[in-house]
Amino acid sequence: MKNIILEANNIKKCYDKEHVLNIENIKIYEAAFNFLIGPNGSGKTTLLNILSMVDTDFKGDIIYRGQKVKKDKVDALKLRRKFSVIWQNPYLFKGTIAHNIGLPLKLRQVKTKEIEKKVKNIAKELEISHLLKKSHNELSGGERQKASIARALITNPEILFIDEPNNSLDYESAKYFNNLFSKLIDEGITILLITHDLYQIEHYADYITLLDKGKVSKTGLYEEMDI
Amino acid sequence: MDYILSALKDAINLILTLDPEVSNVVGTSLKLSLTSTFLAALFGIPLGIIVSKIDFKGKYFLNTVLNTLLSLPTVVLGLFVYSIISRRGVLGEWGLLFTIRGIIIGQVLLIIPIVVALVRNAIHDIDEKMYKTAMSLGATDSQKFWLLISEARYGIIGALITSFGRVIGEVGVSMMIGGNIKGFTRTITTAIAMETNKGRFGFALALGIILLSISFIINFILYFFQSGESK
Repeated sequence: MKNIILEANNIKKCYDKEHVLNIENIKIYEAAFNFLIGPNGSGKTTLLNILSMVDTDFKGDIIYRGQKVKKDKVDALKLRRKFSVIWQNPYLFKGTIAHNIGLPLKLRQVKTKEIEKKVKNIAKELEISHLLKKSHNELSGGERQKASIARALITNPEILFIDEPNNSLDYESAKYFNNLFSKLIDEGITILLITHDLYQIEHYADYITLLDKGKVSKTGLYEEMDI
Repeated sequence: MDYILSALKDAINLILTLDPEVSNVVGTSLKLSLTSTFLAALFGIPLGIIVSKIDFKGKYFLNTVLNTLLSLPTVVLGLFVYSIISRRGVLGEWGLLFTIRGIIIGQVLLIIPIVVALVRNAIHDIDEKMYKTAMSLGATDSQKFWLLISEARYGIIGALITSFGRVIGEVGVSMMIGGNIKGFTRTITTAIAMETNKGRFGFALALGIILLSISFIINFILYFFQSGESK
């Protein structure tokens, strides 16, 4: 069993007085491929927003490396800066792809020259150097997703949250990124991935949490689970 | 036909020789319009953001009022401001009637609804995903605000250019509040109206050509920014 990097207890989230999430406990294991699965509307993305501290309007506790996290702006921001999120339909800011990829570093006040160097390196690594000078709206769905993956990885996050990344990727790109994510886990990065892709689950999952109607219905090591 | 050609010849001559009277009128108009647009931006941009992003009681009503004010006739606004700043008005003691400051007040009131409404639309058009993405990238609250402004920049610049275009071409406020005083509050539009009545067609035509050129330049810049929106 690997170490727990992130844990959430008694998470409750309401929309219009209706509980959409009621999670007693969920654990995210360090340097592992954690999968979050479940039917549409089961609360997967809502939970991802909470765990990544993008949404702090919820009841319950988030524990990061054994420490309870305060939900105030300072602590939430500190934690968010340790994480990265790859969204299902990524939003790219107006400007070039190089600007978009370097933006998280710019927000952390990294020097321009260093940003340029890191952008070039990550683009080369992900084989998207040819996209750097393109404008944000000149890209195909798959290319947008690749750019957003580069943007998420440029900060070397401790936890990478990924919301159904393969929807806009072709087979070859999806395979490439699955392998890349595995490599990142070997390097010590933790991944929480939402997916409906059975192939991905079968080949890559270390831990699985199954959500149903806003509650955890099953959780544990993939090998020990009967799904 | 000779009469039109003669007026056109006079007009071109006045423009090319940089006639002092024409230059003075154009200078006054540009100074007034730029100042009014700047002041309207100062109040209108924050208001537009507030109206777009913050929910409050009466927001629906305010938006309806704003949309109505977009097509406010300038003479009606002129009449309203006149009633306030004329000697018997609430601000009569301030001596604003027939002054540059008086015209600026009227023009700012004229274009603030335009700035607010267009900035509101520009901010409103931004995808909700932007906020979530900015947060996940590690933006602070102030960085999120600047990212929002940056994403809406073409819309905001467009709002200011549209306002400038509206204000430089208006005649009601300038005429009623400014009084069309030569060398002081005479603008391009009030001068055109008066000089045409006096029969100085060449002079009026010269100003007309300049106003049309300014309008063309404004629209050219506006188109540039609007096409930038899609890049």
